[in-house]
Amino acid sequence: MISLEQTVAKAHETGDYNPLIELIPYANVIGVNCERFGEEMVFRLPRNPDNLGNPTLPAIHGGVIAAFMELSAAFQVLLQTTTPELPKIIDFSVDYMRAGLDRDTFAMCQLERQGRRVTNCSVIAWQEKRTEPIATARAHFLVKPN
Amino acid sequence: MRNPEIEARCQRFMDALAHVRKLGLRVIKANERRVTLVLPVQDQLKSDKTTTYLLGGALTTLIDTASAVSTLCVLPEFEIAPTLDLRIDHMKAPEKNQPLYIQAECYRTTRSVMFTRATVYQTSVDEPVAFGIGTFMRLGADVVDPKMKALVEGEIESYDDNGDVES
Repeated sequence: MISLEQTVAKAHETGDYNPLIELIPYANVIGVNCERFGEEMVFRLPRNPDNLGNPTLPAIHGGVIAAFMELSAAFQVLLQTTTPELPKIIDFSVDYMRAGLDRDTFAMCQLERQGRRVTNCSVIAWQEKRTEPIATARAHFLVKPN
Repeated sequence: MRNPEIEARCQRFMDALAHVRKLGLRVIKANERRVTLVLPVQDQLKSDKTTTYLLGGALTTLIDTASAVSTLCVLPEFEIAPTLDLRIDHMKAPEKNQPLYIQAECYRTTRSVMFTRATVYQTSVDEPVAFGIGTFMRLGADVVDPKMKALVEGEIESYDDNGDVES
């Protein structure tokens, strides 16, 4: 069985991050994927009728947007640190700015502070323009040192 | 409104949301202040590759949904109340292969804003898995989509019904 660190190293090498996403079942359920642009990771939640909430607009379920951002943050931490275990979420906070419409959603994360055990990560999610976010979030993770 | 009517209203609202149907969330009980839901054990949320992060993300959706549903318990008439913000604190990793329950309460309602708090648990509400606090914005009963309202109040069967609802 290959270790988590080997899986991360292989994903960076091949650019195929699916084996990592498959580690978290709910990330598969909602359909998270990610791509690397130089040093930057962009996470994508493709349009999916099963992710809708309010049928009026229709809009993506707010919980799905929050979960997408939380999972993106977890993957960012995993990809940017060398840890033998998946980061464990401590707390998560999300502010909603606009309705998430029935189209692709994107997210980018930034590690604001990496302590010895705890990492703080902020997330921004958008659809049309990054300057018009649909939501912003932050999370703390417990990260096992290598 | 009697409790069985509140329960039915909450379940109809949840059934109108495609993603909530996908997760099979069900109302256990509800009254004019709070609601209890269950997220059943299901294959799509299982993984043999990990133990600690089994429900990563799904718990967030559960808390968001239950908090929104708790606002329905309080309101005399159905209103759309979008989430302003939500904060979740994780107390411990949930046990694999056990359903997750959530009790959510809308504890304060003003003309513009509704405040909610929720506890996620498995065996007992005294052993919480996570807490969530949320804030919802009231848009008012006059801006509600009439079809959505008819659906939640049990006047039509599905959102795609064309029924006799006037818009």
